[in-house]
Amino acid sequence: MERITKKMKDIYKYYTEDTGYTMEKIKIVEEGIQFENPVVVQGLPDVGLVGTIAISYLVGKLNFKEVGHIESKLFPPIMVVHNGELKNPVRIYSNEEGLIAILSEVAIPPSAVYPLAEALVEWFEEKDVSLSISLTGFPVANRLDIDDPSSIGVGNSKEAISRLKEAEIDPMLEGFIVGMYPVMLEECKKRGIIAISLLAQCFPSYPDPEAAAAVIRSLQRLTKLDIDLNELLEKGEEIKLKARDLMRQTNAAIAEMQRNTEQSMPIMYG
Amino acid sequence: MRDGIIDAMWNNDGYLEPLYEEEDRGGEIVITFALPYVDKKEIEVYATKETLEVMASMRKSVCWERWGITQRKITFKSFKKQIRLPENVNPDGATAEFKNGILKITLPKIKEKSSIKISGK
Repeated sequence: MERITKKMKDIYKYYTEDTGYTMEKIKIVEEGIQFENPVVVQGLPDVGLVGTIAISYLVGKLNFKEVGHIESKLFPPIMVVHNGELKNPVRIYSNEEGLIAILSEVAIPPSAVYPLAEALVEWFEEKDVSLSISLTGFPVANRLDIDDPSSIGVGNSKEAISRLKEAEIDPMLEGFIVGMYPVMLEECKKRGIIAISLLAQCFPSYPDPEAAAAVIRSLQRLTKLDIDLNELLEKGEEIKLKARDLMRQTNAAIAEMQRNTEQSMPIMYG
Repeated sequence: MRDGIIDAMWNNDGYLEPLYEEEDRGGEIVITFALPYVDKKEIEVYATKETLEVMASMRKSVCWERWGITQRKITFKSFKKQIRLPENVNPDGATAEFKNGILKITLPKIKEKSSIKISGK
């Protein structure tokens, strides 16, 4: 009995010290971003890597400037090299019009979900963010038979839902979303920040550039952003191959998150 | 020689392992593989009762680089993956479909149990 108690204490100590909700565990390093009520879009590795592919294309195509990064001991010890330059895998970009983009090239481990979501939303509040938009996918079993994936949206307030309606994006009527984004939607709600998640039909375990294109089309309607998607679709095969390792890491992180959440899934009725 | 050593350190003898997904649908096992840069005519699939093997040549070779304990750089031209199936299947009844870079293989399971009628009242 004593041994069990000791083990539980050890687990608790590990949880609070290493994975607890301490903001110090997440460090946002940026070059003094100052915009008036900016919009922040996020693309973190998730099902089909929809958000990561979408944001990666957006920052490249629209020549966003790298303005910061996010550090954490909760992230895997990975650095990426682009054009010979060593970079942090979780980066912040912005354009001149005040659009901020957060891109991660590393799977976010379940233990980092809450601390990262809380740190990001606290930072959003500090920056007077007017709208937070996360890009992701919702896996569908018959994705192979869908040539043109459609997308839907989830808003965290009446104002957010009305923005979706104005942009003619169908709202999610029933269901649940798991991972980083629901935590961010809720955190934003607590702090009075309008937040929306855009989700496109996608393959759960394969990089899905077509779904990324679908989610960008919805983002365009929501933000009046002008971006040509031809290159994204033309380079689809290259993206699928390049994103293979990140998809593997992400699949493992999703499987771990599912194990943790399976028993707490809400009862669905309607 | 050096290339040979690097090849041996990488996946399956220098072949690239595709992403794949396995689903048990009761009477059949469905396995999909992501095969970018592959044409249908370049795919070979072999199945036995217990295993499934997929090989596919790519339209273009891909140079892969990774920094780990050692830096590795290899050019890949093919995908290859062999899977041990979770249950015995009938390979003659298998079907395959290739669309948008995804190969879907459906393998019917061998019916190993039959219902037994119970006599008496």
